[in-house]
Amino acid sequence: MIQVEGLTKYYGPHKAIDSLSFHADAGEIVGFLGPNGAGKTTTMRILTGYMPPSEGRATIAGFDVFEQSLEARGRIGYLPETVPLYKELTVWQYVDYMAALRGMGNPGRAERVDEVLDRVGMLDRADSLIDSLSKGMRQRVGLAQAIVHKPDVLILDEPTIGLDPRQVREVRELIREVGEHRTVLLSTHILSEVSQLCSRILIINNGQIVAEDSPATLSNRLQDTTRYFLHIGNATPKEVAKAIRGVAGVSEVYPTEEGVEIVADSQIDPRPAVTATIVQKSWDLLELRHVDMSLEDIFLQLTTDEAVAEEED
Amino acid sequence: MPNIGRSFHNLWTVFKHEFSVYFISPIIYWIGAGWLCLAGVFYSNSLGFYNQGTYEVSMSSLFSPMAFLTIFIAPALTMRLLAEEVHAGTHELLFTAPVRDWEVVVGKWLASWAVMSSFILVTFLHAGLLIWRGSPNIAVMITGYIGLWLVCGATLAIGVFASSLSQYQLVSFMISMGTLVLLWVAGAVSSLISNSLLSEAINQLTITNHYHNTMLNLGLVDPIDVAYFVGVMALFLFLATQILGTRRWRA
Ligand SMILES: Nc1ncnc2c1ncn2[C@@H]1O[C@H](COP(=O)(O)OP(=O)(O)O)[C@@H](O)[C@H]1O
Ligand SMILES: [Mg+2]
Repeated sequence: MIQVEGLTKYYGPHKAIDSLSFHADAGEIVGFLGPNGAGKTTTMRILTGYMPPSEGRATIAGFDVFEQSLEARGRIGYLPETVPLYKELTVWQYVDYMAALRGMGNPGRAERVDEVLDRVGMLDRADSLIDSLSKGMRQRVGLAQAIVHKPDVLILDEPTIGLDPRQVREVRELIREVGEHRTVLLSTHILSEVSQLCSRILIINNGQIVAEDSPATLSNRLQDTTRYFLHIGNATPKEVAKAIRGVAGVSEVYPTEEGVEIVADSQIDPRPAVTATIVQKSWDLLELRHVDMSLEDIFLQLTTDEAVAEEED
Repeated sequence: MPNIGRSFHNLWTVFKHEFSVYFISPIIYWIGAGWLCLAGVFYSNSLGFYNQGTYEVSMSSLFSPMAFLTIFIAPALTMRLLAEEVHAGTHELLFTAPVRDWEVVVGKWLASWAVMSSFILVTFLHAGLLIWRGSPNIAVMITGYIGLWLVCGATLAIGVFASSLSQYQLVSFMISMGTLVLLWVAGAVSSLISNSLLSEAINQLTITNHYHNTMLNLGLVDPIDVAYFVGVMALFLFLATQILGTRRWRA
Protein backbone atom coordinates (compact mmCIF):
# COMPACT_ATOMS: atom_id res chain seq x y z
CA MET A 1 0.00 0.00 0.00
CA ILE A 2 2.89 2.33 0.80
CA GLN A 3 6.02 1.76 -1.27
CA VAL A 4 9.13 3.87 -0.75
CA GLU A 5 12.30 3.53 -2.80
CA GLY A 6 15.52 5.43 -2.29
CA LEU A 7 13.81 8.47 -0.83
CA THR A 8 16.24 11.32 -0.13
CA LYS A 9 15.57 14.87 1.00
CA TYR A 10 17.99 17.75 1.28
CA TYR A 11 17.22 20.95 3.15
CA GLY A 12 19.80 23.13 1.48
CA PRO A 13 23.04 21.20 1.96
CA HIS A 14 21.63 19.25 4.92
CA LYS A 15 20.55 15.71 4.16
CA ALA A 16 17.47 15.07 6.31
CA ILE A 17 16.71 11.60 4.96
CA ASP A 18 19.10 9.39 3.10
CA SER A 19 17.80 6.92 0.48
CA LEU A 20 15.05 5.42 2.61
CA SER A 21 13.36 2.29 1.29
CA PHE A 22 10.50 0.52 2.97
CA HIS A 23 6.96 -0.63 2.40
CA ALA A 24 3.75 -1.09 4.30
CA ASP A 25 1.21 -3.66 3.16
CA ALA A 26 -2.55 -3.34 3.26
CA GLY A 27 -3.92 -3.66 6.78
CA GLU A 28 -0.58 -3.28 8.50
CA ILE A 29 0.22 -0.87 11.33
CA VAL A 30 3.82 0.10 10.80
CA GLY A 31 5.71 2.02 13.46
CA PHE A 32 8.29 4.59 12.56
CA LEU A 33 10.55 4.80 15.59
CA GLY A 34 13.31 7.34 15.95
CA PRO A 35 14.60 10.22 18.08
CA ASN A 36 13.94 13.89 17.33
CA GLY A 37 15.54 14.97 14.08
CA ALA A 38 15.68 11.43 12.70
CA GLY A 39 13.67 12.39 9.64
CA LYS A 40 10.23 10.99 10.50
CA THR A 41 8.28 14.17 9.80
CA THR A 42 10.23 14.81 6.61
CA THR A 43 9.39 11.34 5.29
CA MET A 44 5.72 11.74 6.15
CA ARG A 45 5.54 15.17 4.51
CA ILE A 46 6.85 13.66 1.29
CA LEU A 47 4.40 10.76 1.47
CA THR A 48 1.46 13.13 1.96
CA GLY A 49 2.45 15.30 -1.00
CA TYR A 50 3.30 18.31 1.15
CA MET A 51 6.70 18.57 -0.46
CA PRO A 52 8.59 16.69 -3.14
CA PRO A 53 11.60 14.46 -2.45
CA SER A 54 15.06 15.42 -3.70
CA GLU A 55 15.61 11.90 -5.01
CA GLY A 56 13.79 8.60 -5.05
CA ARG A 57 10.11 7.87 -5.29
CA ALA A 58 7.15 6.83 -3.20
CA THR A 59 3.76 5.44 -4.11
CA ILE A 60 0.48 5.24 -2.23
CA ALA A 61 -1.86 2.51 -3.47
CA GLY A 62 0.19 2.47 -6.66
CA PHE A 63 0.01 6.24 -7.26
CA ASP A 64 3.23 8.21 -7.30
CA VAL A 65 3.04 10.84 -4.56
CA PHE A 66 4.63 13.42 -6.82
CA GLU A 67 3.57 12.52 -10.38
CA GLN A 68 0.00 11.54 -9.48
CA SER A 69 -0.21 13.67 -6.39
CA LEU A 70 -3.98 14.26 -6.36
CA GLU A 71 -4.85 10.56 -6.63
CA ALA A 72 -2.34 9.69 -3.93
CA ARG A 73 -3.45 12.52 -1.62
CA GLY A 74 -7.08 11.47 -1.95
CA ARG A 75 -6.25 8.10 -0.43
CA ILE A 76 -4.42 9.43 2.62
CA GLY A 77 -5.61 10.59 6.00
CA TYR A 78 -2.94 12.71 7.66
CA LEU A 79 -2.46 13.87 11.21
CA PRO A 80 0.55 16.22 11.30
CA GLU A 81 2.80 16.54 14.34
CA THR A 82 1.10 19.72 15.60
CA VAL A 83 -2.56 19.22 14.81
CA PRO A 84 -3.53 22.01 12.40
CA LEU A 85 -6.91 23.34 13.51
CA TYR A 86 -9.01 26.32 12.53
CA LYS A 87 -9.58 27.61 16.04
CA GLU A 88 -12.46 29.89 15.09
CA LEU A 89 -14.56 26.96 13.81
CA THR A 90 -16.63 24.51 15.80
CA VAL A 91 -15.57 20.87 15.92
CA TRP A 92 -18.35 19.93 13.52
CA GLN A 93 -17.60 22.71 11.02
CA TYR A 94 -13.92 21.80 11.03
CA VAL A 95 -14.39 18.10 10.35
CA ASP A 96 -17.04 18.90 7.73
CA TYR A 97 -14.66 21.29 5.94
CA MET A 98 -11.88 18.70 5.97
CA ALA A 99 -14.26 16.07 4.61
CA ALA A 100 -15.34 18.41 1.81
CA LEU A 101 -11.72 19.22 0.96
CA ARG A 102 -11.09 15.50 0.62
CA GLY A 103 -13.80 15.41 -2.03
CA MET A 104 -16.80 14.24 -0.01
CA GLY A 105 -20.11 15.72 -1.11
CA ASN A 106 -23.57 15.88 0.33
CA PRO A 107 -25.73 13.90 0.80
CA GLY A 108 -23.79 11.60 3.07
CA ARG A 109 -21.12 13.94 4.35
CA ALA A 110 -23.07 15.34 7.30
CA GLU A 111 -23.98 11.83 8.50
CA ARG A 112 -20.37 10.72 8.13
CA VAL A 113 -19.14 13.70 10.19
CA ASP A 114 -21.56 12.75 12.98
CA GLU A 115 -20.49 9.13 12.76
CA VAL A 116 -16.79 9.92 12.95
CA LEU A 117 -17.21 12.38 15.84
CA ASP A 118 -19.13 9.68 17.66
CA ARG A 119 -16.30 7.26 16.95
CA VAL A 120 -13.69 9.50 18.56
CA GLY A 121 -16.04 10.40 21.41
CA MET A 122 -16.46 14.05 20.46
CA LEU A 123 -20.08 14.08 19.31
CA ASP A 124 -21.24 15.81 22.49
CA ARG A 125 -18.70 18.58 21.82
CA ALA A 126 -19.61 18.94 18.13
CA ASP A 127 -20.75 22.55 18.55
CA SER A 128 -17.87 23.65 20.79
CA LEU A 129 -15.30 26.03 19.39
CA ILE A 130 -12.02 24.23 18.76
CA ASP A 131 -10.27 27.01 20.66
CA SER A 132 -11.97 25.82 23.86
CA LEU A 133 -10.80 22.18 23.65
CA SER A 134 -8.14 20.46 25.74
CA LYS A 135 -5.07 18.98 24.10
CA GLY A 136 -6.42 15.45 24.27
CA MET A 137 -9.69 16.51 22.65
CA ARG A 138 -7.84 18.34 19.89
CA GLN A 139 -5.89 15.19 19.17
CA ARG A 140 -9.15 13.28 18.86
CA VAL A 141 -10.57 15.91 16.53
CA GLY A 142 -7.34 15.61 14.55
CA LEU A 143 -7.88 11.87 14.27
CA ALA A 144 -11.49 12.44 13.23
CA GLN A 145 -10.46 14.64 10.29
CA ALA A 146 -7.85 12.06 9.29
CA ILE A 147 -10.36 9.20 8.99
CA VAL A 148 -13.51 11.06 7.94
CA HIS A 149 -13.11 10.30 4.23
CA LYS A 150 -12.34 6.60 4.88
CA PRO A 151 -8.80 6.70 3.52
CA ASP A 152 -6.88 3.54 2.65
CA VAL A 153 -3.76 4.90 4.29
CA LEU A 154 -3.43 6.71 7.59
CA ILE A 155 -0.29 8.71 8.34
CA LEU A 156 0.04 9.80 11.96
CA ASP A 157 2.99 11.92 13.06
CA GLU A 158 3.65 11.46 16.80
CA PRO A 159 -0.06 11.22 17.63
CA THR A 160 0.42 10.90 21.40
CA ILE A 161 3.03 13.59 21.95
CA GLY A 162 2.22 16.04 24.74
CA LEU A 163 -0.75 14.09 26.11
CA ASP A 164 -1.17 12.93 29.69
CA PRO A 165 -1.04 9.16 30.38
CA ARG A 166 -4.82 8.69 30.34
CA GLN A 167 -5.19 10.57 27.06
CA VAL A 168 -2.28 8.59 25.61
CA ARG A 169 -4.10 5.36 26.43
CA GLU A 170 -7.32 6.64 24.86
CA VAL A 171 -5.64 7.80 21.68
CA ARG A 172 -3.71 4.53 21.32
CA GLU A 173 -6.93 2.60 21.72
CA LEU A 174 -8.51 4.74 19.02
CA ILE A 175 -5.60 4.21 16.67
CA ARG A 176 -5.86 0.48 17.17
CA GLU A 177 -9.58 0.64 16.32
CA VAL A 178 -9.33 2.84 13.26
CA GLY A 179 -6.25 0.94 12.09
CA GLU A 180 -8.09 -2.32 11.90
CA HIS A 181 -9.02 -2.08 8.26
CA ARG A 182 -6.41 0.22 6.85
CA THR A 183 -2.71 0.73 6.47
CA VAL A 184 -1.26 2.92 9.18
CA LEU A 185 2.15 4.54 9.33
CA LEU A 186 2.73 5.90 12.80
CA SER A 187 5.76 7.80 14.02
CA THR A 188 6.91 8.01 17.60
CA HIS A 189 10.00 8.21 19.72
CA ILE A 190 8.56 5.93 22.40
CA LEU A 191 9.52 2.27 22.14
CA SER A 192 6.62 0.92 24.17
CA GLU A 193 4.14 2.71 21.91
CA VAL A 194 5.22 0.88 18.78
CA SER A 195 5.53 -2.44 20.58
CA GLN A 196 1.92 -2.15 21.69
CA LEU A 197 0.39 -0.97 18.45
CA CYS A 198 2.45 -2.07 15.50
CA SER A 199 2.89 -5.25 13.58
CA ARG A 200 6.20 -4.05 12.22
CA ILE A 201 8.73 -1.50 13.39
CA LEU A 202 11.07 0.63 11.30
CA ILE A 203 13.82 2.18 13.34
CA ILE A 204 15.20 5.35 11.83
CA ASN A 205 18.16 7.41 12.93
CA ASN A 206 19.95 10.26 11.17
CA GLY A 207 17.75 9.81 8.13
CA GLN A 208 18.54 6.14 7.68
CA ILE A 209 16.69 2.97 8.55
CA VAL A 210 18.72 1.20 11.20
CA ALA A 211 16.53 -1.85 11.69
CA GLU A 212 13.25 -3.31 10.54
CA ASP A 213 11.54 -6.01 12.57
CA SER A 214 8.42 -7.25 14.28
CA PRO A 215 8.07 -6.09 17.90
CA ALA A 216 8.67 -9.65 19.12
CA THR A 217 11.94 -10.18 17.25
CA LEU A 218 13.07 -6.73 18.18
CA SER A 219 12.55 -7.27 21.88
CA ASN A 220 14.33 -10.63 21.59
CA ARG A 221 17.32 -8.91 20.12
CA LEU A 222 17.21 -6.33 22.87
CA GLN A 223 16.72 -8.77 25.72
CA ASP A 224 20.40 -9.45 26.05
CA THR A 225 20.78 -6.15 27.77
CA THR A 226 18.29 -5.87 30.57
CA ARG A 227 19.64 -3.27 32.96
CA TYR A 228 19.05 -2.57 36.62
CA PHE A 229 19.86 0.36 38.80
CA LEU A 230 20.97 -0.29 42.35
CA HIS A 231 21.18 2.31 45.13
CA ILE A 232 22.78 1.45 48.49
CA GLY A 233 22.63 3.77 51.48
CA ASN A 234 25.75 2.98 53.48
CA ALA A 235 28.35 2.03 50.90
CA THR A 236 30.00 3.87 48.00
CA PRO A 237 29.09 2.83 44.47
CA LYS A 238 32.66 1.58 44.00
CA GLU A 239 32.46 -0.77 47.00
CA VAL A 240 29.08 -2.06 45.83
CA ALA A 241 30.33 -2.61 42.32
CA LYS A 242 33.29 -4.59 43.64
CA ALA A 243 31.07 -6.77 45.80
CA ILE A 244 28.50 -7.76 43.18
CA ARG A 245 30.84 -8.18 40.23
CA GLY A 246 30.75 -11.85 39.34
CA VAL A 247 27.53 -12.60 41.22
CA ALA A 248 25.19 -15.00 39.41
CA GLY A 249 23.31 -13.30 36.54
CA VAL A 250 25.43 -10.14 36.52
CA SER A 251 27.44 -9.68 33.39
CA GLU A 252 28.67 -6.10 33.78
CA VAL A 253 28.71 -3.50 36.56
CA TYR A 254 29.18 0.25 36.21
CA PRO A 255 29.45 2.49 39.27
CA THR A 256 27.81 5.88 38.63
CA GLU A 257 27.40 9.06 40.72
CA GLU A 258 24.30 7.91 42.57
CA GLY A 259 24.55 4.15 42.49
CA VAL A 260 25.45 1.16 40.39
CA GLU A 261 24.19 0.12 36.99
CA ILE A 262 23.98 -3.60 36.39
CA VAL A 263 23.83 -5.18 32.98
CA ALA A 264 22.13 -8.52 33.39
CA ASP A 265 22.94 -11.82 31.78
CA SER A 266 20.28 -12.84 29.27
CA GLN A 267 19.70 -16.24 30.96
CA ILE A 268 19.61 -15.58 34.70
CA ASP A 269 17.78 -12.86 36.64
CA PRO A 270 20.53 -11.25 38.77
CA ARG A 271 18.21 -9.76 41.37
CA PRO A 272 18.04 -12.68 43.88
CA ALA A 273 21.81 -13.11 44.07
CA VAL A 274 22.38 -9.34 44.21
CA THR A 275 19.98 -8.84 47.11
CA ALA A 276 21.48 -11.84 48.93
CA THR A 277 24.91 -10.23 48.66
CA ILE A 278 23.60 -6.94 49.98
CA VAL A 279 21.91 -8.61 52.95
CA GLN A 280 25.07 -10.54 53.70
CA LYS A 281 27.05 -7.26 53.80
CA SER A 282 24.32 -5.66 55.97
CA TRP A 283 23.98 -2.76 53.52
CA ASP A 284 20.82 -0.68 53.29
CA LEU A 285 19.04 -1.40 50.02
CA LEU A 286 17.33 1.83 49.00
CA GLU A 287 16.46 1.04 45.41
CA LEU A 288 16.69 -1.76 42.88
CA ARG A 289 14.83 -1.07 39.69
CA HIS A 290 14.67 -2.01 36.06
CA VAL A 291 16.10 0.62 33.71
CA ASP A 292 14.25 1.19 30.44
CA MET A 293 16.53 1.28 27.48
CA SER A 294 16.75 4.69 25.96
CA LEU A 295 16.44 5.02 22.21
CA GLU A 296 20.14 5.86 22.14
CA ASP A 297 20.96 2.55 23.83
CA ILE A 298 18.78 0.74 21.32
CA PHE A 299 20.50 2.37 18.37
CA LEU A 300 23.88 1.71 19.83
CA GLN A 301 23.04 -1.91 20.28
CA LEU A 302 21.29 -2.46 16.99
CA THR A 303 24.00 -0.73 15.01
CA THR A 304 26.80 -2.62 16.76
CA ASP A 305 24.82 -5.87 16.27
CA GLU A 306 24.61 -5.13 12.60
CA ALA A 307 28.29 -4.26 12.38
CA VAL A 308 29.22 -7.47 14.14
CA ALA A 309 26.92 -9.48 11.89
CA GLU A 310 28.52 -7.92 8.83
CA GLU A 311 32.00 -8.74 10.08
CA GLU A 312 31.00 -12.35 10.66
CA ASP A 313 29.61 -12.68 7.12
CA MET B 1 -15.49 16.11 -17.41
CA PRO B 2 -15.18 14.66 -13.90
CA ASN B 3 -12.18 16.99 -13.51
CA ILE B 4 -14.38 20.02 -14.01
CA GLY B 5 -16.90 18.68 -11.53
CA ARG B 6 -14.14 18.13 -9.00
CA SER B 7 -12.66 21.59 -9.50
CA PHE B 8 -16.10 23.08 -9.04
CA HIS B 9 -16.59 21.10 -5.83
CA ASN B 10 -13.18 22.22 -4.52
CA LEU B 11 -13.71 25.88 -5.46
CA TRP B 12 -17.11 25.86 -3.83
CA THR B 13 -15.76 24.18 -0.67
CA VAL B 14 -12.94 26.70 -0.24
CA PHE B 15 -15.21 29.60 -1.16
CA LYS B 16 -17.93 28.64 1.28
CA HIS B 17 -15.47 28.12 4.12
CA GLU B 18 -13.67 31.41 3.58
CA PHE B 19 -16.84 33.40 3.06
CA SER B 20 -18.33 32.21 6.34
CA VAL B 21 -15.05 32.71 8.21
CA TYR B 22 -15.12 36.40 7.17
CA PHE B 23 -18.29 36.95 9.15
CA ILE B 24 -17.15 35.19 12.33
CA SER B 25 -15.21 38.24 13.44
CA PRO B 26 -17.09 41.53 13.93
CA ILE B 27 -14.13 43.39 12.39
CA ILE B 28 -15.58 42.71 8.96
CA TYR B 29 -18.58 44.94 9.72
CA TRP B 30 -16.24 47.74 10.78
CA ILE B 31 -14.29 47.40 7.53
CA GLY B 32 -17.50 47.48 5.49
CA ALA B 33 -18.97 50.35 7.43
CA GLY B 34 -15.70 52.28 7.24
CA TRP B 35 -15.52 51.85 3.48
CA LEU B 36 -19.09 52.94 2.85
CA CYS B 37 -19.18 55.77 5.38
CA LEU B 38 -15.90 57.33 4.34
CA ALA B 39 -16.93 57.21 0.70
CA GLY B 40 -20.36 58.45 1.77
CA VAL B 41 -18.81 61.57 3.30
CA PHE B 42 -17.31 62.51 -0.08
CA TYR B 43 -20.59 61.66 -1.73
CA SER B 44 -22.79 63.80 0.50
CA ASN B 45 -20.35 66.70 0.15
CA SER B 46 -20.82 66.50 -3.59
CA LEU B 47 -24.58 66.22 -3.20
CA GLY B 48 -24.36 69.67 -1.67
CA PHE B 49 -23.02 70.92 -4.97
CA TYR B 50 -25.85 69.25 -6.86
CA ASN B 51 -28.36 71.05 -4.73
CA GLN B 52 -26.78 74.31 -5.83
CA GLY B 53 -27.35 73.13 -9.37
CA THR B 54 -23.63 73.04 -10.22
CA TYR B 55 -23.47 69.43 -11.43
CA GLU B 56 -25.62 66.79 -12.92
CA VAL B 57 -26.86 64.27 -10.32
CA SER B 58 -24.67 61.14 -10.47
CA MET B 59 -23.24 58.38 -8.33
CA SER B 60 -19.75 58.87 -9.72
CA SER B 61 -18.85 60.88 -6.67
CA LEU B 62 -19.63 57.83 -4.51
CA PHE B 63 -17.94 55.28 -6.79
CA SER B 64 -14.81 57.35 -7.16
CA PRO B 65 -13.87 57.44 -3.44
CA MET B 66 -15.00 53.83 -3.06
CA ALA B 67 -12.61 52.80 -5.82
CA PHE B 68 -9.83 54.87 -4.27
CA LEU B 69 -10.37 53.37 -0.81
CA THR B 70 -9.80 49.85 -2.17
CA ILE B 71 -6.15 50.77 -1.57
CA PHE B 72 -6.84 49.99 2.09
CA ILE B 73 -9.92 47.78 1.95
CA ALA B 74 -8.59 45.14 -0.45
CA PRO B 75 -5.36 44.55 1.53
CA ALA B 76 -7.36 44.39 4.78
CA LEU B 77 -9.72 41.77 3.36
CA THR B 78 -7.04 39.60 1.77
CA MET B 79 -4.02 39.79 4.08
CA ARG B 80 -5.22 36.85 6.16
CA LEU B 81 -6.18 34.49 3.35
CA LEU B 82 -2.93 32.63 2.65
CA ALA B 83 -0.55 34.14 5.22
CA GLU B 84 -2.55 32.92 8.20
CA GLU B 85 -2.76 29.34 6.89
CA VAL B 86 1.03 29.18 6.91
CA HIS B 87 1.32 31.02 10.22
CA ALA B 88 -1.16 28.70 11.97
CA GLY B 89 0.16 25.57 10.25
CA THR B 90 -3.23 24.71 8.75
CA HIS B 91 -1.69 24.82 5.26
CA GLU B 92 -0.19 21.42 6.01
CA LEU B 93 -3.65 19.87 5.75
CA LEU B 94 -4.92 22.22 3.06
CA PHE B 95 -2.01 21.45 0.74
CA THR B 96 -2.07 17.71 1.40
CA ALA B 97 -5.78 17.50 0.60
CA PRO B 98 -6.61 16.43 -2.96
CA VAL B 99 -7.09 20.06 -3.99
CA ARG B 100 -5.04 21.97 -6.56
CA ASP B 101 -3.16 25.09 -5.50
CA TRP B 102 -5.06 27.26 -8.00
CA GLU B 103 -8.39 26.05 -6.63
CA VAL B 104 -7.36 27.22 -3.17
CA VAL B 105 -6.17 30.59 -4.49
CA VAL B 106 -9.21 31.25 -6.65
CA GLY B 107 -11.68 29.98 -4.05
CA LYS B 108 -10.26 32.33 -1.44
CA TRP B 109 -10.16 35.26 -3.85
CA LEU B 110 -13.77 34.68 -4.89
CA ALA B 111 -14.78 34.71 -1.23
CA SER B 112 -13.13 38.09 -0.68
CA TRP B 113 -14.76 39.40 -3.86
CA ALA B 114 -18.15 38.18 -2.69
CA VAL B 115 -17.68 39.99 0.62
CA MET B 116 -16.78 43.23 -1.14
CA SER B 117 -19.70 42.75 -3.53
CA SER B 118 -22.08 42.44 -0.62
CA PHE B 119 -20.82 45.79 0.67
CA ILE B 120 -21.43 47.26 -2.78
CA LEU B 121 -24.98 45.91 -2.62
CA VAL B 122 -25.63 48.28 0.27
CA THR B 123 -25.11 51.25 -2.07
CA PHE B 124 -28.14 50.10 -4.07
CA LEU B 125 -29.98 52.10 -1.41
CA HIS B 126 -28.34 55.29 -2.69
CA ALA B 127 -29.03 54.27 -6.25
CA GLY B 128 -32.69 53.65 -5.47
CA LEU B 129 -32.94 56.98 -3.73
CA LEU B 130 -31.34 58.80 -6.64
CA ILE B 131 -33.64 57.16 -9.17
CA TRP B 132 -36.66 57.91 -7.01
CA ARG B 133 -35.84 61.55 -6.23
CA GLY B 134 -33.75 62.62 -9.23
CA SER B 135 -33.17 61.72 -12.82
CA PRO B 136 -29.70 60.17 -12.99
CA ASN B 137 -28.17 58.77 -16.16
CA ILE B 138 -28.94 55.08 -15.69
CA ALA B 139 -26.37 53.91 -18.24
CA VAL B 140 -23.56 55.75 -16.44
CA MET B 141 -24.78 54.34 -13.15
CA ILE B 142 -24.68 50.77 -14.47
CA THR B 143 -21.24 51.07 -16.04
CA GLY B 144 -20.07 52.78 -12.86
CA TYR B 145 -21.16 49.73 -10.89
CA ILE B 146 -19.57 47.30 -13.34
CA GLY B 147 -16.32 49.21 -13.24
CA LEU B 148 -16.25 49.44 -9.44
CA TRP B 149 -16.88 45.74 -9.22
CA LEU B 150 -14.00 45.03 -11.61
CA VAL B 151 -11.72 47.38 -9.66
CA CYS B 152 -12.53 45.39 -6.51
CA GLY B 153 -11.81 42.05 -8.19
CA ALA B 154 -8.47 43.27 -9.50
CA THR B 155 -7.29 44.89 -6.28
CA LEU B 156 -8.32 41.79 -4.29
CA ALA B 157 -6.30 39.59 -6.65
CA ILE B 158 -3.28 41.76 -5.89
CA GLY B 159 -4.04 41.33 -2.18
CA VAL B 160 -4.26 37.53 -2.50
CA PHE B 161 -0.91 37.54 -4.26
CA ALA B 162 0.64 39.61 -1.46
CA SER B 163 -0.82 37.19 1.08
CA SER B 164 1.05 34.32 -0.58
CA LEU B 165 4.38 36.08 -0.10
CA SER B 166 4.59 36.10 3.69
CA GLN B 167 3.22 34.28 6.69
CA TYR B 168 2.73 37.61 8.45
CA GLN B 169 -0.54 39.43 7.77
CA LEU B 170 0.99 42.86 8.37
CA VAL B 171 3.72 42.22 5.81
CA SER B 172 1.22 41.10 3.18
CA PHE B 173 -0.95 44.15 3.97
CA MET B 174 1.99 46.48 3.38
CA ILE B 175 2.96 44.76 0.14
CA SER B 176 -0.49 44.91 -1.38
CA MET B 177 -1.14 48.47 -0.20
CA GLY B 178 2.19 49.57 -1.65
CA THR B 179 1.43 47.93 -4.98
CA LEU B 180 -2.01 49.53 -5.13
CA VAL B 181 -0.68 53.00 -4.28
CA LEU B 182 1.80 52.62 -7.13
CA LEU B 183 -0.99 51.69 -9.53
CA TRP B 184 -2.90 54.84 -8.55
CA VAL B 185 -0.09 57.37 -8.50
CA ALA B 186 1.47 56.08 -11.71
CA GLY B 187 -1.06 58.18 -13.59
CA ALA B 188 0.06 61.34 -11.83
CA VAL B 189 3.70 60.48 -12.55
CA SER B 190 3.02 59.74 -16.20
CA SER B 191 1.67 63.23 -16.79
CA LEU B 192 5.04 64.62 -15.69
CA ILE B 193 7.04 62.52 -18.15
CA SER B 194 7.86 64.31 -21.39
CA ASN B 195 8.45 61.15 -23.44
CA SER B 196 4.93 60.66 -24.72
CA LEU B 197 5.34 56.96 -25.53
CA LEU B 198 6.56 56.10 -22.03
CA SER B 199 4.01 58.34 -20.42
CA GLU B 200 1.21 56.66 -22.36
CA ALA B 201 2.53 53.18 -21.48
CA ILE B 202 2.52 54.02 -17.76
CA ASN B 203 -0.90 55.58 -18.08
CA GLN B 204 -2.22 52.35 -19.59
CA LEU B 205 -1.21 50.52 -16.40
CA THR B 206 -3.23 52.70 -14.06
CA ILE B 207 -6.63 51.94 -12.64
CA THR B 208 -7.85 55.51 -13.17
CA ASN B 209 -7.19 55.32 -16.89
CA HIS B 210 -9.34 52.21 -17.23
CA TYR B 211 -12.11 53.18 -14.85
CA HIS B 212 -12.53 56.92 -14.41
CA ASN B 213 -11.99 57.92 -18.01
CA THR B 214 -14.59 55.52 -19.39
CA MET B 215 -16.91 53.45 -17.22
CA LEU B 216 -17.14 55.86 -14.29
CA ASN B 217 -17.84 59.11 -16.10
CA LEU B 218 -18.83 58.35 -19.68
CA GLY B 219 -21.02 55.27 -19.42
CA LEU B 220 -18.70 53.47 -21.82
CA VAL B 221 -17.63 49.84 -21.50
CA ASP B 222 -14.49 49.51 -23.58
CA PRO B 223 -13.39 45.87 -24.06
CA ILE B 224 -9.81 47.05 -23.52
CA ASP B 225 -10.68 48.26 -20.03
CA VAL B 226 -12.43 45.01 -19.17
CA ALA B 227 -9.42 43.12 -20.53
CA TYR B 228 -7.17 45.22 -18.31
CA PHE B 229 -9.04 44.29 -15.13
CA VAL B 230 -9.45 40.64 -16.07
CA GLY B 231 -5.77 40.58 -16.99
CA VAL B 232 -4.73 41.98 -13.61
CA MET B 233 -6.87 39.36 -11.85
CA ALA B 234 -5.51 36.49 -13.92
CA LEU B 235 -1.90 37.64 -13.62
CA PHE B 236 -1.86 38.02 -9.85
CA LEU B 237 -3.86 34.87 -9.15
CA PHE B 238 -1.46 32.99 -11.40
CA LEU B 239 1.52 34.47 -9.57
CA ALA B 240 0.02 33.56 -6.18
CA THR B 241 -0.43 29.97 -7.37
CA GLN B 242 3.18 29.88 -8.56
CA ILE B 243 4.41 31.20 -5.21
CA LEU B 244 2.56 28.43 -3.38
CA GLY B 245 4.19 25.91 -5.69
CA THR B 246 7.71 27.20 -5.11
CA ARG B 247 7.06 27.26 -1.36
CA ARG B 248 6.64 23.52 -1.57
CA TRP B 249 9.96 23.21 -3.34
CA ARG B 250 11.72 25.32 -0.79
CA ALA B 251 10.03 23.70 2.21
N1 LIG C 1 12.07 23.01 7.06
C1 LIG C 1 13.31 22.57 7.39
N2 LIG C 1 14.41 23.25 7.00
C2 LIG C 1 15.64 22.82 7.32
N3 LIG C 1 15.91 21.72 8.02
C3 LIG C 1 14.86 20.97 8.45
C4 LIG C 1 13.52 21.37 8.16
N4 LIG C 1 12.68 20.44 8.70
C5 LIG C 1 13.46 19.53 9.31
N5 LIG C 1 14.79 19.84 9.16
C6 LIG C 1 15.93 19.02 9.65
O1 LIG C 1 15.82 17.74 9.07
C7 LIG C 1 16.11 16.73 10.01
C8 LIG C 1 14.93 15.79 10.16
O2 LIG C 1 13.86 16.48 10.76
P1 LIG C 1 12.42 15.83 10.99
O3 LIG C 1 12.01 15.15 9.75
O4 LIG C 1 11.54 16.90 11.50
O5 LIG C 1 12.74 14.77 12.12
P2 LIG C 1 11.75 14.06 13.17
O6 LIG C 1 10.34 14.26 12.72
O7 LIG C 1 12.16 12.63 13.14
O8 LIG C 1 12.01 14.70 14.48
C9 LIG C 1 16.49 17.45 11.29
O9 LIG C 1 17.89 17.52 11.35
C10 LIG C 1 15.87 18.80 11.15
O10 LIG C 1 16.63 19.78 11.82
MG1 LIG D 1 8.85 15.11 13.76
